Amino acid sequence: MKISVFWIGVAVALVVALLTPHVVTNEFYLRTAYTVLQFVVLATAWNILGGYGGYVNFGSAGFFAIGAYSAVFIYKLFPLFQVPDYMIFVMLPLGGVVAAVIGLGTGYLTLRLRGVYFSIATLALAVVLQTLVTNWHFVGGARGASILPPQTVPIFSTWGEFLFVLMAILAIASLAVARYIERSWIGRGLAAIRDNEEAAECMGVPTLKLKLIGCTVSGFLFGVAGAPLPYYVNYIEPVSAFNLVYAVNALAMPMIGGATTWIGPLLGAVVLGTAQEVARVTISSEMNLLIVGVLLVFFVIAAPDGFVGLARKYLGNRKSR
Amino acid sequence: MKVRNLTIGRRLLLAGVAASAVVAAGLAAQPAAAQDKPLKIGFGMALTGGLAGAGKSALIGMQIWAEDVNSRGGLLGRKVELVYYDDQTNPATVPGLYTKLLDVDKVDFVVSGYGTNLIAPAMPIVIQRNKIFMGLFGLGNNEEYKYGRYFQILPAGPQPRRGISSDYFVIAKEKGMKKVAIIAADAEYAQNSAEGARLNAKEHGIEVVYDKSYPPPTADFSPIIRAINATNPDFVFAASYPPDSVGLVRALHEIGAAPTIKMFGGGMVGLQYASVADALGAKLNGIVNYDYYVAEPTLKFDAIEEFLTKYQPRAKAAGVDPLGHYLPPWSYAYLQVLGAAITATKSTDDKVLSDYIHKTAFKTVVGDVKFGPHGEWESHRVLFVQYKGIKDGAAIDAFAKPGARQIIKPEQYKTADWLSLDDGRKAMPK
Repeated sequence: MKISVFWIGVAVALVVALLTPHVVTNEFYLRTAYTVLQFVVLATAWNILGGYGGYVNFGSAGFFAIGAYSAVFIYKLFPLFQVPDYMIFVMLPLGGVVAAVIGLGTGYLTLRLRGVYFSIATLALAVVLQTLVTNWHFVGGARGASILPPQTVPIFSTWGEFLFVLMAILAIASLAVARYIERSWIGRGLAAIRDNEEAAECMGVPTLKLKLIGCTVSGFLFGVAGAPLPYYVNYIEPVSAFNLVYAVNALAMPMIGGATTWIGPLLGAVVLGTAQEVARVTISSEMNLLIVGVLLVFFVIAAPDGFVGLARKYLGNRKSR
Repeated sequence: MKVRNLTIGRRLLLAGVAASAVVAAGLAAQPAAAQDKPLKIGFGMALTGGLAGAGKSALIGMQIWAEDVNSRGGLLGRKVELVYYDDQTNPATVPGLYTKLLDVDKVDFVVSGYGTNLIAPAMPIVIQRNKIFMGLFGLGNNEEYKYGRYFQILPAGPQPRRGISSDYFVIAKEKGMKKVAIIAADAEYAQNSAEGARLNAKEHGIEVVYDKSYPPPTADFSPIIRAINATNPDFVFAASYPPDSVGLVRALHEIGAAPTIKMFGGGMVGLQYASVADALGAKLNGIVNYDYYVAEPTLKFDAIEEFLTKYQPRAKAAGVDPLGHYLPPWSYAYLQVLGAAITATKSTDDKVLSDYIHKTAFKTVVGDVKFGPHGEWESHRVLFVQYKGIKDGAAIDAFAKPGARQIIKPEQYKTADWLSLDDGRKAMPK
């Protein structure tokens, strides 16, 4: 039986994720890593539709927030039935499923639009979702909702350690899903759509079906990335949950890393996310979006295929010598 | 041989004595070195994002406190150092910043940033480490936690949602008003405030004839004022943010209030800022609104004028609220409470300090402060002021002097009687 390097890497990454809280006891580093890993999931989720299929989604923050608010819904609902802690294991899949259903619905409604029109529709969707949540008092509405973390966490000594491991597993799983899609008939079909949708349709590629699959999987991953957010922040309100920063980063990270492969969003999220987190506590928070902006402009002009494109170019040149 | 041995022994003895002296000196110096270590107070503050203007002015107040304390030799002989980061007015950044402050920067104390949304995410982290936590303008952050080491400086009393508008409804009741219209922005403070207003209305037997929210990006408030007028309320309680407050006051001025409306205002954020007030000028006259400090003769708190004298030139240079009547004295005061507790107990132990703060009344730049069991003020002390005699383009000068914002409630600080909206518009301060 042949085991690929990728799956060995996945196994190693899982072991490292599980061991890290025992080695890194300082919660700050774990929480910083959580934020970076969250962006790995977001960037990967965006890339499935945006990178593989060429459909640019500006509504990422909406799907992410729906995942978060699904978790808040469960949190608010469960105490009514006296169910104890550790609801996060229910919240995670629920957040994902709700976001996936919305993704599927969005797909049906918007995928006949193309280019900038599709992007505007997704942005509008995020605004509609925010308005709905703002007026839904059960989940806190405009006032927001406080989420109290459980007093104890099994296996781990702090809630921060648990959240880190959880997000690391989600990041690894999302990369595995993205890699599977990229290398399967879905990824090849999405690539055909990206290159020329009419030609793909004429060649028998089931474009609508593929785009719907892309929307649903992408929505699911956005949702599961958002579901732990209420437990990370402990307080959630619509303005910050639907923050445009999530949408900008989810788009910029794959663009900088390389949007046509599963490894691009990983590279982009790690480099950009880490740079932002370091800048926040060293230079200034204002630098965060400036870093994103400057890098995005640079990569769009100088390296449109991101880090992956640069690496391919460099390695290709070396081989041809 | 013997002599030589003796010589070596003497050298050894001398070396030993010298070494002992060095070690002893080193040991003696250790506590001194600990004393020399600055006492670090950490916090996140909104220096960018939606609350940046207020956050920057609060930071100036905190820096003035640190300088004042350090000019007197610091706390327990240690210089005070403020360690702060920009929370970007984004709650998602707060957990990371507070773990950085506590686990990496190893600050001695953490205090909150500005506002309910930015206090809430820090609470579990602070509670997990059993640290004392001073809050700056949070509304009911400790209602669910009931954490014994949390103290909050907003003077809204033990039931903050109600306390913020309590006296506004007392005025209405005293003047025989029976019907209220409540209008609130769809956002955290405004919704909390509106909820408190409903409870206050119920307590005083006042009928709510209009109760609506509007989304924060609303630009045209004319339809809202028309809808309120159509219900003929006796008074209007508005809970709004600065841009909306400007919009509401302008719309009220353009369309006019229904003849039944005798009082307008209550919970409008922004009218306290000199720059907003300057933009509205004479349109403010007659409005009754909450405030925390105004230049009236009854509010002669300990060193408040000295504080404002230091604050105002800096604020001008930084381009933030030039008068500093709203937030900066409170950002100074919440550190003042912490500093006073450290000095009085001669301790930096969180339990000792929180026990002391619970049982002590503090004299601060915002007056006497006494906290209740869950860290809110023991009783509310929100001022309700009526704007009078303000001329267009001269609001900043008017706000700096007594007369433009006369205190109607509470009784102990009262400087003028309440006038109806129409009479207040015409009145000139005495």
